[in-house]
Amino acid sequence: MASRNQGSAPRALVVEDIKVDCVILMRMLHKLNCKATAVENGKKAVDLFVEGKSFDIVLLDKDMPIMSGPEAVAKIRAMGATEVKIVGVSADFGAQEAFMQAGADVFVPKPVKFETLKAMLEVVISKNNMSG
Amino acid sequence: MDYTNLRRQIISMKKSLFDQGYLDEQFNQLEELQDDSSPNFVEEVVALFFKDSSRLLTNIEQALEKYPQDFYRLDSLVHQFKGSGSSIGALRMKNECSMFKAHCNDRNLEGCRRSLQKMKREHATLKQKLETYFHLLRQVGPPERAVNSWK
Repeated sequence: MASRNQGSAPRALVVEDIKVDCVILMRMLHKLNCKATAVENGKKAVDLFVEGKSFDIVLLDKDMPIMSGPEAVAKIRAMGATEVKIVGVSADFGAQEAFMQAGADVFVPKPVKFETLKAMLEVVISKNNMSG
Repeated sequence: MDYTNLRRQIISMKKSLFDQGYLDEQFNQLEELQDDSSPNFVEEVVALFFKDSSRLLTNIEQALEKYPQDFYRLDSLVHQFKGSGSSIGALRMKNECSMFKAHCNDRNLEGCRRSLQKMKREHATLKQKLETYFHLLRQVGPPERAVNSWK
């Protein structure tokens, strides 16, 4: 089961196969003082949860090889990871429904704005600090 | 070296890139992510984009010439191209990709071919203009090693 991350740097997982988009998201998360990990498809993201890794926030692209973002979201939620904030990210506006039905908390269109990411992380940090 | 004049050229060039629609606000977002800990971030990301997108353009061209055409695959390739172009603020390329996708949707092969030629022209033009822009920036910035991996 995922553990609460109180008072430490937020742990973020970026699931994105397009290198440019991945590099930009990772840079944003670095500037927001997150401890960020990146993988290039949904299966690798699920594998991390299977290994017992926990994250405060996961950002997933929709269309990726091997396993899509929505499919990975559904599997992560089915594993009981209900606390982690899951953000669907896509340039395809039609992806919102797929992500939300799979169990994502929010959908953000690409390109992701720094201020949008910052606001989402503030909610995550606030939630972590309130737990106990 | 006349740094004042160089800085004026840089500002003018950047304004021109925005005014002519080559770049949009997303490019400013990238520049805001650059700092002392990653002083060449924008140039590195742009270099990565041109490296990946050149390969994508080749793949799109090859996919167009296959028979029968797989419009689903073509749409997927252009979707990737459009997405990463949007991430660096490449507005004209993004718009041309939208045209290509519309032709894919209509299964209009000739329309796709025309769009691809425009995409390639926009790609080459933006690459050349940004190359010049970063060259100017390097002359006024800290003495950092220039990024040449995208040439």
